[in-house]
Amino acid sequence: MKLEFGQRADLADIRRIGIPRALLYYRYGIAWRTFFTELGLEVVLDAPSDRGTLEVGDRLSVDECCLASKLFLGHVAALVDQGVDAVFVPSLMGYGRFDTFCTKFQALPDLAENAFIVAGRRVRVVSFRIDELAGETEEAAYLGLAARFGVTRKEARRAYKAAIAAQRDYDDAMAREQEKLVRSISKLPAAERPLTILLAAHPYVSHDPFVGGVVEDALREQGACVLFADEADKARSLKKSYEFSHSIPWIVNRELIGATLLLHEHIDGIVLMSAYPCGPDSMCDDAIERCIKGKPILTLTVDAQAGTAGVETRVESFIDILAYQKKGGYLHA
Amino acid sequence: MRSFQSQPEQSAGEPKVKNPAEEHGRIVMRDGAPRPLFFTGKRPKRRRHSRHKVAFFHFRYYEPAFKYFTEQVLDADFVPTPTPTRATIKRGEEMSADYVCTPFKHIIGDYAAALEQGADTLVQVTGFCRLNYYGELQEMILRDAGYEHFQMLNFSYVATGKIRDYVAYCKKVVNPNLSIPHGVKNLLGAYRMVEHIDTFRDRYLANAGFETEPGSFARVRKEFLSAMNAAKSNGDIEDGFRRAMDALDALPTNKPEDPVRVGIVGEYYTAQDPTSCLNLEQKLLDMGVELSNAMSISAFNLHYNAQAARESIAEYSVHDMGPTSTFNIAAAKRFAKAGYDGLVHIKSAGCTPEIDVMPVLQRLSRDYHIPVLFLTFDTQTSDAGLDTRLEAFYDMIAMRKVRS
Repeated sequence: MKLEFGQRADLADIRRIGIPRALLYYRYGIAWRTFFTELGLEVVLDAPSDRGTLEVGDRLSVDECCLASKLFLGHVAALVDQGVDAVFVPSLMGYGRFDTFCTKFQALPDLAENAFIVAGRRVRVVSFRIDELAGETEEAAYLGLAARFGVTRKEARRAYKAAIAAQRDYDDAMAREQEKLVRSISKLPAAERPLTILLAAHPYVSHDPFVGGVVEDALREQGACVLFADEADKARSLKKSYEFSHSIPWIVNRELIGATLLLHEHIDGIVLMSAYPCGPDSMCDDAIERCIKGKPILTLTVDAQAGTAGVETRVESFIDILAYQKKGGYLHA
Repeated sequence: MRSFQSQPEQSAGEPKVKNPAEEHGRIVMRDGAPRPLFFTGKRPKRRRHSRHKVAFFHFRYYEPAFKYFTEQVLDADFVPTPTPTRATIKRGEEMSADYVCTPFKHIIGDYAAALEQGADTLVQVTGFCRLNYYGELQEMILRDAGYEHFQMLNFSYVATGKIRDYVAYCKKVVNPNLSIPHGVKNLLGAYRMVEHIDTFRDRYLANAGFETEPGSFARVRKEFLSAMNAAKSNGDIEDGFRRAMDALDALPTNKPEDPVRVGIVGEYYTAQDPTSCLNLEQKLLDMGVELSNAMSISAFNLHYNAQAARESIAEYSVHDMGPTSTFNIAAAKRFAKAGYDGLVHIKSAGCTPEIDVMPVLQRLSRDYHIPVLFLTFDTQTSDAGLDTRLEAFYDMIAMRKVRS
């Protein structure tokens, strides 16, 4: 998008902008919120996902959509019901040849708009596109969007800087926190160390209370210490992932794999979790199961029908097996 | 007079005494190319590398083009992948993860079959979406399954996307002796062959539904493909194509003035490949339909104007929704505007970009009053359900046509 400051402020009438609490909100949400707040807009977030969100989203989507995408449309509908002026849905292609997102994230703005029209409803979508391979950089995307809200170039730049900084600070804080946790566990004597489980899942799966929340709770209930692969240091994870694969094209999966490799010696088991049917995970989980050896891996798939039923039982038995193993196998239990 | 010429079985320099009768004159000619007199210790590059046996996966009727590319461009041996059978598909299904997209399963089944035929180099292309990662994961799975003596020519590894790097990569993996001028010339031939195969397909789909002599169109296609398969030079390609097109046009048909017309759009591999979509095109042709399939290598890779396509569907989508999304929406809109009677949208199970296209097509269907049949194909091999659906769809659009 070309920068047209002072010329094409077609979004200047928007006062309340909604951000759906789904998908990449869990990765870039802080940047987006900061950005719109800096532009002087009121940012509206809807409630975290629950069964109702899924049902609404399910009605709006094609049957074969993945669970996360159905939840997303549910969140958009919730925002529309709250009466926001517009909903922010970016189209994210990627940052490079092997740093792309699932095509779902490219399609989101058009998908939302079309799905609502098919359902006989309307939603006003505000969007930008990041596709660094095609020359549409992140900075240009943010600034171009700001221009359409009728702010000056200076204000736009400030909002962008603040947004990126806020997100980076948050990510760094989470990574530091997790590193501290890992260090403190490794300092404990071996007998007192709790079972450490790495939850490797897309952030919108692991941090969504309706999807990953159940697994996290179940793990904690069993006395395990939970680490999140998506809360490790992103740059280091990404670099590390090239030791695993040359050609995985998805940045989020790369970070998850890199984090798994980085944390490999500190963990007792890995829980891979995906929302059915996740395209990137369908291949990466296979690769992880084949190539990340030496640690037990539990693969969980959550779909729209069964939801998280049965997850607790599976997590319990997984933890039981790990606990027995740690004590030296069934014979020494 | 003594001759000091050395012979291969003779050590150098040792004089050879000849029969005095031969001194007066003789004629000698031996078979083979000229060779240096002495072994210099250097062998030409082509002697140092054994020829590779290259295999592709199955993809519609493009095998002659793959063969031509392998033999005339890469200058290697081509191993034809056996025609996929139920067993091949099942093998592929067993080797892959459950909900990976279906082309992955078909292709890995083909690879296993090709390796058993003695191939030692497998070619995988690159693209958007999951296709990027196909090659690496398939190589890993095949090695885990016990196939060891093979290498992948996986274009995903060429991260830069520059022609020069692709050539260097082919040289490294398949044939270090690859001749660039020769290769470029024949690459153009392969390019033309792909175009011809697609042109032939389009003509075939338009008319084969109205053949008066059953099987005549399929016969010409068979002849065309075998001519392409036998092509050794660019001239052979043009020649075979012209003859096949003439033969196709000469076939008698009973095409009505205003036939029922159906357009096919959908996911790149499944929409084209008859094995993947259970021979859907032929089934529709048998009902007496004029078909157009939007998807082909020429249409999507060689002659695609992305900018124009994007602009033509501006009211439906602002950004590119996925690798083939804009192309498919634009094609569907073109069909709808041209007054087609129905659209068939084909995808493999779990194809994210095509799932995202579906709401757009639903909207388009409503705007242009054109029925759309959405079909999803997995590795199932029974086509009873497909037949019922196609018949119902045909009845519906044929009846609508009569009424209007």
